[in-house]
Amino acid sequence: MTESYELAVIGGGPAGMEAAVTAAESGVKTALIDNFPDLGGQYYKPLPESFKVKGKTKTEKEADVLVGMVKGLPVTQVRDALVWGIFPDEKHGGWLVALYGPDVPKKIHAQMVVLATGAYDTPVAFPGWTLPGVLTAGATLTLAKTQRVVPGRRALVVGTGPLLLSVAAHLIDAGVEVPAVCEASKPLGKAIPYIFTALGQWGRIEEGAKYISKMVAKGVPYKMGWTIVEARGVDRVEEAVIARLDAGYQPVEGSEQTLAVDTVVAGFHLIPNTGLARLIGCQFEYQLEKGGWVPVRDETLQSSLPGVYIAGDGAGIGGAELARLEGRMAGLAVAVQSGHLTHDQAGSVYARLKPQLAQQRRYARMLGALFTPQPGLSALASDDTLICRCEEITLGEVKAAVAAGARTIGEVKMVTRTGMGNCQGRMCEHGVTNAIVAALAAEKATHQQVGFYSIRPPLHPLPVEVLADAAEDAD
Amino acid sequence: MRIDHSSSLLPEVTRGKKIQIVVDGNSLDAYEGETVAAAMIAAGIWKFRLTRNHKHPRGVYCGMGICYECLVRVDGVDNVRACMTPVVDGMKVETCKEVEL
Ligand code: FES
Repeated sequence: MTESYELAVIGGGPAGMEAAVTAAESGVKTALIDNFPDLGGQYYKPLPESFKVKGKTKTEKEADVLVGMVKGLPVTQVRDALVWGIFPDEKHGGWLVALYGPDVPKKIHAQMVVLATGAYDTPVAFPGWTLPGVLTAGATLTLAKTQRVVPGRRALVVGTGPLLLSVAAHLIDAGVEVPAVCEASKPLGKAIPYIFTALGQWGRIEEGAKYISKMVAKGVPYKMGWTIVEARGVDRVEEAVIARLDAGYQPVEGSEQTLAVDTVVAGFHLIPNTGLARLIGCQFEYQLEKGGWVPVRDETLQSSLPGVYIAGDGAGIGGAELARLEGRMAGLAVAVQSGHLTHDQAGSVYARLKPQLAQQRRYARMLGALFTPQPGLSALASDDTLICRCEEITLGEVKAAVAAGARTIGEVKMVTRTGMGNCQGRMCEHGVTNAIVAALAAEKATHQQVGFYSIRPPLHPLPVEVLADAAEDAD
Repeated sequence: MRIDHSSSLLPEVTRGKKIQIVVDGNSLDAYEGETVAAAMIAAGIWKFRLTRNHKHPRGVYCGMGICYECLVRVDGVDNVRACMTPVVDGMKVETCKEVEL
């Protein structure tokens, strides 16, 4: 028998945990699903259970409180579980969530779902970005925080966004030499309209200041308006070339500097992880400053599909605080929709949440305005740079497909095979869409026209037996 | 490299039990709780797989299970994501063995 819940929350980060807690507190029968062994997600980055830590950082303590709340409630935790599809349950209504993992049911049924799938580093292609030793900001922080491992001895940090400061500070604390931090954006000038928003976020400014002081202590330059133009090496990174960017985010010729490094950490802000929302058919809209394609939601965070809520960075980049509030909001809405709370009961909580949400959204808008990687950065790739890492398709091949008549990302995919590899397009969609839009500049093509990859189950490659088994089940 | 000193951002940890994994025939120290990727990177191994067409080396990129660049063979099973797989004592890992998924 398939286990049945009123609510399945997918993703055990800040948004997912809050959604599960809020719903369960009102009596909603809730399952919380995550694909890691421990709750926390990419923001809290939990240490493995077998590691014992002597002291905890503020964020780690915050995570403990939240995980403690989940554990104190009748929430069924389904961990180490990959959600590879969500299907409408024709017989009983609601949804069937298909799972794969060492010790999890093959599927569970839920009347409603909250998608809290988070985000990942925007993959920005530059010559040499596929070399071993080039890794994302997220990967670097995961290694340092959850594994206490550093990727190399001398690491260049490039990209855009406040995460770069965190990466640099963690690497420095871990004893890694950081020759430079290259922030592609020039946030200082652009920040002026947001000064009051920023002041409302004093805690975070303090945190940033702590990171910067670690850089200053080691004399690490924070180069604003600079980025990487090439990583070089044979079997791994041996050196990196950086350059100054002009107002259109194009490298200024003659400004190049070559640095001997064994690691390049690339963190070009974040994009929402929207695979599941696309797969089940939620409606999307393009909002560059929220990270690109984001699901359409109403005030209660319900998507265009009834009973499907989307909370946190997976619905548009906004940071952990906003994610937590959105999780609560979605959990509350589910409690109302499932009849556990009346509108009146929910009303007072909603009234408290609303101004907090508004404040965090202002902050999110500021971050987006300051740090969203601008389309100009796509020009870092040259024609022979691989833009689709899995299928090894170059930028030149994408351009050729456009020259031959392809106008949408779907058409480019058909002609070139971009996005058909193991990552399901997660790593190349950003670059391919920007390349198509740029190639069609004369026609004033927009991201809306170019579109996004359609996603079909399985969301991740699965062993054939698992798929065969699922197909049999469906018959 | 493993971080073996304490700092304000990375307070000291005691790792899990020390175990051994075998990567391409060589024994490596690893600690329970580590991922295969972390144990390999700690040992300075960066080449996880070769690409299908050009046989170019690839290693950890996203570190969170979504890019599939860190695929290795684990105990005879192909295409295992090293960044998502915890080490187990005696585990046999082979790099650059990718077959098509
Ligand atoms: S590094 Fe991306 S899946 Fe392992």
